[in-house]
Amino acid sequence: MGIIATSRLKSPWIMHFDNSSCNGCDIEVLACLTPLYDVERFGIVNMGNPKHADVLVVTGPVNRRTARVLKNLYEQIPGPKMVIAVGTCGTSGGVFHNCYNVLGGVDKVIPVDVYVPGCAARPEAIIDGVVLALQKLAKLQGVAL
Amino acid sequence: MIDKLKEISKDQLLAEVKKYADAKARFVTGSANDLGDKLEITYFFNASPGMDLSALRFSVGKDEEVPSMTGIYLTAVLIENEMKELFGLKVKDLAIDFGGHMMLAQDSPVLPMLKTEEQLAAGKKGGN
Amino acid sequence: MAPRTITPFGPQHPVLPEPIQLKLELEDERVVGVVPAIGYGHRGIEKACELNEYPKNIYLCERICGICSAIHGMTYCDVVEKLWPLEIPPRASYLRTIWAEMARTHSHLLWLGLLADAFGFESMFMQYWRIREKVLDILEITTGHRVTQSVSIVGGVRRDIDDDQKKHCIEVLKDVRKEAEALNNVLVNDYTVKARTVGKGVLSYDQAIALGLCGPHLRASGVKEDCRTQGYWAYGDLSYEPIVATGGDSFSRAAVRVGELYQAIDLQLEAFGKLPEGELAAKPKGNPPANEAVSRVEQPRGEVFYYAKGNGTRNLERLRVRTPTYANIPSLLVMLPGCELADVPIIVLSIDPCISCTER
Repeated sequence: MGIIATSRLKSPWIMHFDNSSCNGCDIEVLACLTPLYDVERFGIVNMGNPKHADVLVVTGPVNRRTARVLKNLYEQIPGPKMVIAVGTCGTSGGVFHNCYNVLGGVDKVIPVDVYVPGCAARPEAIIDGVVLALQKLAKLQGVAL
Repeated sequence: MIDKLKEISKDQLLAEVKKYADAKARFVTGSANDLGDKLEITYFFNASPGMDLSALRFSVGKDEEVPSMTGIYLTAVLIENEMKELFGLKVKDLAIDFGGHMMLAQDSPVLPMLKTEEQLAAGKKGGN
Repeated sequence: MAPRTITPFGPQHPVLPEPIQLKLELEDERVVGVVPAIGYGHRGIEKACELNEYPKNIYLCERICGICSAIHGMTYCDVVEKLWPLEIPPRASYLRTIWAEMARTHSHLLWLGLLADAFGFESMFMQYWRIREKVLDILEITTGHRVTQSVSIVGGVRRDIDDDQKKHCIEVLKDVRKEAEALNNVLVNDYTVKARTVGKGVLSYDQAIALGLCGPHLRASGVKEDCRTQGYWAYGDLSYEPIVATGGDSFSRAAVRVGELYQAIDLQLEAFGKLPEGELAAKPKGNPPANEAVSRVEQPRGEVFYYAKGNGTRNLERLRVRTPTYANIPSLLVMLPGCELADVPIIVLSIDPCISCTER
């Protein structure tokens, strides 16, 4: 297999976007990067630039204003790309389902590959979600993880 | 019950707010409530330094204009824009006018905080 | 005069995990004007709180903000209890105080880490967050969850802290204090840190009051004002004095939070020592009556203001939440003009912005 396909699996660069979440999952995503969980040991690097990213990690329910931003970010990420919806409200709207400005889960706007439930999702679950996304990506590229 | 609540009319608002500003009080926040035919607006102030809260309250019809207090307290700009957007309060002379899109997006519901007929009826009837 | 350009800061920006946009008007590298564009986090929680029955709102209010989640839940319960009014048992008051201060400890460590990250001191960010995990551990042991603690119910609390947990918490807190001291020494004394924070985003005493600031942001400008001095829950029994700094700049704001970090640990230790025996919750009688109440509680970021109006039904007629960042955001309009573009992240961060709180 090619060097690019291997590298993408061995060192995926992720970008985190917060829709309109309560922050709970966002700080758990950040906590994944810090010494106790330290996802960098798996080669996972957090990026601020969508054009550098392979995996988009989205937290929180989509509201009417972030829908456009989220779609824009998704389109900027070069393929093949994976989307992970983190947290109960990212997957379905959760506790905010009857709020007037909330559209629902991330999948209302962009296709989602992996759903990580939990309110707030634990860092272990988020790391597990990234691994699941990589397995999916490996299958898509026809290479072994 | 709120201690130190003063009922005023909307014409007295700026004069009353000015008194707070002259006494170097801190603006805390405001709250609007839909009473059906009218909006009830309450502004809260804190006599700083300390923890002494007092409030001003007035009611206005839904089509009446209300003067903005942002000329006195710039910090009220967020709450006045919010009331304008969510309750349809007609605030004039806002220091920064977000044009009804501070919180809401283009396709959000219009005046979402106004109560429905059922909500108003349930509120008037009260519970057990 | 150099040509002016408008540069957007956000809504997706590496220094902030949350979406907010600042439209910065620049003259070369200098900021001359700023317009905040918010609304990316607006969900409509206040309306949903009118539609849900009042006990359900606890869970919704806890999710106004995931960092000060426990205190949001407690404040909601507090304001609803005031509608009757309903007295909560002393043990519940103490437990709420302990959890509130535990939340403050983790929140201040989180912020100190983010500050270090904002000026490029990444190892310090990692160290603060490593210590923070210990606080999250004791939160998880005592409440059942790291982030969304959900311990408060109307009338008291839902869980107890037993003696073994208490002993463990005290050990961990002492350990956290020792480790934090070592790091804080660097933060407070290092000249590179000072070079990035001293004199950045200065607000005077009068400006702080006129802008209606709250929390550490207000106290860093020399205003001795803290909701905990009202003596709600167990704060009236504990020895407590607000921490104040006079510089009014980003450095003072960090210094106030460093002081409050130690103070929060001390308050927890004192509260553990005085923890009374007894019931965990009082039972509310019927629905919240037709009444109004206001509750003001000190969160890590400042004063949170809840206004509730009941009407005798299972639903509240109105719930208004004013979170600390809502009061602190207008200060950016005053602090940012005149600073350099590279200092914008630090000044924005110095108010400890919590956008999801602000927009509900």
